[in-house]
This record gives sequence, structure tokens and C-alpha cells, in this order.
Amino acid sequence: MIRLVNVNKYFYRGDPREVHALKDVNLSIQSGEFTVITGPSGCGKTTLLNAIGVLDNVSEGEIWLEDREIAHLPATQKTDIRLNSIGFVFQAYNLVPVLTVEENIGFIMRLQGYSDEAIRIRVREVASILQIDQKLDSLPNFLSGGQQQRVAVARAVASKPKIILADEPTANLDSKNSTALMEMMKELNRKEGITILFSSHDEYVMKNARRTILLNDGAVVSS
Amino acid sequence: MFKTVAHMAYQNAFLRKSRALLLVLMIGLSMAVMVGLEGLYDGMSQHMIEKTKRSDCGDISLFAPRYRTENSIVYHISNAGKKVALLQGMKGVRDAIWRIESEGLAQTARKSRPARVVGIDVADEEKFGRYSDFLQKGSLEFGKDGAFIGNVLADKLKLLLGSKVIFSMQDSSGQLQSVALRIKAIIHTTNIMLDDRAIYISRQKLNKLLSLPPKSATQIAVLAGDTEVKTLQQHIKKAFPKLDAKRFAALYPQLKQTQQLLDVFNEISFAIVMTVVFIGILGVMYVSVLDRIREFGILLGIGYAYRYIRLQVFLEALFLALAGFVLGSVLGLLFLVYLKYHGLDLSVFSSGMSMFGLDSTIHAVIKPGYFVSTFIAIVTASLLSIFLPLRKIKRLDPIEVIRSIG
Repeated sequence: MIRLVNVNKYFYRGDPREVHALKDVNLSIQSGEFTVITGPSGCGKTTLLNAIGVLDNVSEGEIWLEDREIAHLPATQKTDIRLNSIGFVFQAYNLVPVLTVEENIGFIMRLQGYSDEAIRIRVREVASILQIDQKLDSLPNFLSGGQQQRVAVARAVASKPKIILADEPTANLDSKNSTALMEMMKELNRKEGITILFSSHDEYVMKNARRTILLNDGAVVSS
Repeated sequence: MFKTVAHMAYQNAFLRKSRALLLVLMIGLSMAVMVGLEGLYDGMSQHMIEKTKRSDCGDISLFAPRYRTENSIVYHISNAGKKVALLQGMKGVRDAIWRIESEGLAQTARKSRPARVVGIDVADEEKFGRYSDFLQKGSLEFGKDGAFIGNVLADKLKLLLGSKVIFSMQDSSGQLQSVALRIKAIIHTTNIMLDDRAIYISRQKLNKLLSLPPKSATQIAVLAGDTEVKTLQQHIKKAFPKLDAKRFAALYPQLKQTQQLLDVFNEISFAIVMTVVFIGILGVMYVSVLDRIREFGILLGIGYAYRYIRLQVFLEALFLALAGFVLGSVLGLLFLVYLKYHGLDLSVFSSGMSMFGLDSTIHAVIKPGYFVSTFIAIVTASLLSIFLPLRKIKRLDPIEVIRSIG
């Protein structure tokens, strides 16, 4: 489903401060996989996720999503890919503060042009799985960190993207909330068949993933 | 999607309540002052023109050919009464009146001034232009030897009610005629051409003094009804091809220029106020966008297209501006209603203002156009004010934002 071919990423290329963040990364991730990218801090986990999510440009190499090379598309097409094929879960939740939980969860679907009724049904379904159905009318600022992260996951999942990219989603959560979130992600992966790609160095996350990709100094050590 | 974008825009616009309130107050108060000024400027010029029309030329005036160039009563209109009756029956004419005038010299025992004697009929003038409004002192009855005098001329000749004045003029045969008149009323029309020079006596008496046949006139003034003045002028020209029919603007070009000058003042004030509004909205929107630059970066990151952000920011500016517009409309209307009925008393400047034919108390007029033009300007200001903030967002790379927040 996702294929990375000889991907390299440099920061400050040609400058004395040059950093070679990703080194000849070759990876293949199949549909429905539940994968964790792990490695020491600064090894390139987030850079790799951002490259796969076409948020960041790669310096060299190709990234294929199904049969389409996506690394070198124009910015507007990358926006479309992010909107229609990829769900993002960020470490800092990044919900829209002026929208209710229900509106936040349905936000991507609304951008995709779903009807009000379809959005309402799907939002309730996802909120029920993630146990936030009692909070649909609340604003994000009135929720705990764990609840906000569940809303962020619900937003990423609601539109049924091909892949969910989650960058250290448990980093700001306590162990109880981390465990709960992981269980829910696993359930979503099982029920909805969504491909999930985490970056994390949380042992609990690694234990629960079906596949672990180990990065070190920008290179894939094991997958 | 528009609903969601509009909802986000509305929530964000009023998220920082004190900031939004200050901006709304600034727009509202600026607009109220602006609308008040527009009403006053228009009130000034409208009253000035209206009084000139009522006291002198109407919308259209008819003269005998060559009268205006030669300024001689030899070129007078005969059977003016009959012509006025015809005009009064004409479609589009609200009223018509005839007058006779002659240049001459007004003198007292100590002073003399070039002046103009105007023959009028008080009842006709009352019907035509509410003449009693112009009465400053005395009563509007000529009696045997009575005359009314313009207030500025009365001051210059040191004439009071009951004072005597001699007016000398040449009759239609060139003979010098003089008449002793007793001042019965002092007239203030705010038309400086009359207030500074006019002595009014009865029409019949002046016709006799000038040795003209009865009902001879030097001017027939016409007030238009609903018909457009230009169209009415063409009809009158057709009906009276031997007379010279002139519109107000041709007879009082200086008043037309004053009106245009006031319009320019109006436009300048409007531009200044709208610039202030524009800067206010720009400042608030710029700060608001900078405050939420992270949010915009994330939104772009998850697939919220730039066009939605553009719409959202525009709607935010528009909501704030419209709130200001609503407040400004209410305050402006109240201000205008007050100025319409109570007026703005500028009597400390009365002497200067009368030189320009202005009343010392200015009453505003109220036109829906003030609110329409302000609405258009505010929407435009909102549109323009978002360019800079949007430029900031356009340059935004979502990955930079995401990296900055880990």
C-alpha cells in the first residue's frame, strides 16, 4: 500500500549545518497493518511520518501510495492526498478550539463534502467506539488530555482514510489513557481495517503493534 | 462546507471579546460621526439651495431675451400674470410666480448703497416660498409706503423698523424716479444676493414707478413638482419659445459650486473615516491571524484548503465590520434624527456662515444612501483588510508549524 524507495531527506543541504535525516529508506507497508516506527530521540521518526504524509518534501527518492507516486506532486494535490487518503493524529491534539467535539470529528468529512446526515451517523459511531459520545457538545478546551487525544483520533478515523499517521500520540498521556487509546486504536484497526502507522518509543505501544520498524540515525535498522 | 467555515469565522471573530468589542465600538462610533457629518453637509447645501429657490429663482426662471445680459427693464415680460396662470396649469409645475426688479440706489440721510428693488406680492410669495419664514423683524404688510429690506443691507444703511429710505432708479423711458419708503420688515433669506441688496415693495407700485404696463415682470420663477427639472425646462421652452428659461444651476453657479465643495468635504471625511475603519479591521485581523497561525498551519496540514482559510478570514473581518455597521447605523440614525429636528447651533459663526448663504443652525437631512454607501465601504474595507493577514498564511508551511509544536 505504501512503498518508500531510496528516500533521503536532508536539512540545510549544502550548508555546514547539513543534517542527513533519512538515509536511503526503503520500506513497504501493507494495507491493514498496525505498525510502529521506533528508535531513539532524533532518529528521524517524525521526519519519516511527515514524508509519508506528504507534509514534508523528501530530498531524494519516491513514495508510492497504492499506484501513485506522491512525493513530488504539486502542493494542491498533496493537500488533496492529505485530505482524502491520510488521517493525522498529532502529539499536541491540535483540535479546532471553536468547534464542538462533534464538529471537530466531522470536520474532515465536511471538507470531503459528505451530507449532514452521513456525518452525524459516522461521528456518533466513531465517538461511541472511542467512548466520547457523551462529550459531543463540548468544546475541546473543556476536555482532559486523554479525551482530546481521543477526539483527534476520532477526527482522523471518521472519514475512513487509507492510512492513519500518528506521531507519538501517547506522549502527552498518562499510562491509563495511553493504554485506553492503544486499545481503541487496535479495535479501529480490527473493525475498520484502517492501516495505522505510529511513531513512538512507548514500550506499551511497541508491544501492541503487529510490526515494528526500528530507525537509527535516519536509517532503517530492522523492519 | 460554507456553514462550517462561517461558523468557525463567527466563533473566532468574537473569541477575544474585549478586542472585538473595541473594534465594533470604533467602527460604530466612526460610522455614526460619518453619517452625521454627511447629513449635516447635505443639510447645509440642501437648505441653502432650497431657500434660494424659494426666495428667488425657483427650479427654473424665465426672463425676457437680453434682460440678463443688458440688465435693463426695457427687456421685460409682458402679461406676466397670464403666463404664470398658464404655467401653473402645466403638468410638472408645482407653483409659479412673477416679480419685477430694478437696479438703483438706496439712501438715507447719511449713507447710500447700490441696491435692487424687487416688486413682489406677499400672498403669492407666501404660497410660492413660505415667505413669512424669511421675516426677521416687523410685519409683512406694505401699506401705503411700506417696504421690506434685506437684513445685511439694513445693517449697512443703519436702518431699523420704521426708518425711512429713499430708493432711486431709472424708469423704462430712462427718467430718474425716486420713492420714499418706510421699513416695515427686515428679511433674512440667507440668499446673500438678496439680503445684501434687496428692498421689496409691492409689484403694482414698482410697475407704476417704472412706467411699465401693469403685470409686467422681469422674472417668472417656477417650482417643479415631481417631473425632472430638465424635462420641465424643455416643456416650458416649447410653451414659451420667446422667453429665456434658465435652470437653477445656470442662475446660481456659485451655489452649485458650494454644493460640489461640500460634496468634496463629504467625500474626504468619508475617506478618512473609512481609512480609520480599514486600519482598525486590518490591525485586529492581523493580530488575530498571528495568534492562530499554529491553528491555520495544522488546518492546512490536515487538508483544509487555503481557499477555505481565505473565506474564513474574510468572514471574520466581515462579521466584525457588520457588527460595527449595525451599531453605527443605530447610533448614526439617532444622531441624524437629533440633528434633523434640533439642528446644530453654530451661531458663534453666524456672520461668516451668512456670507456663504448658510443658516447659523444647520439641520441635517437623512438619506438611505448614507447607510448604503457606508455598508459598501465597510464590506470593501473588510475585503482589503485581509490581504496582509492572508499573505502571512499563504506563506505558511504547515510542516514548519507542526515541527515547532513537536
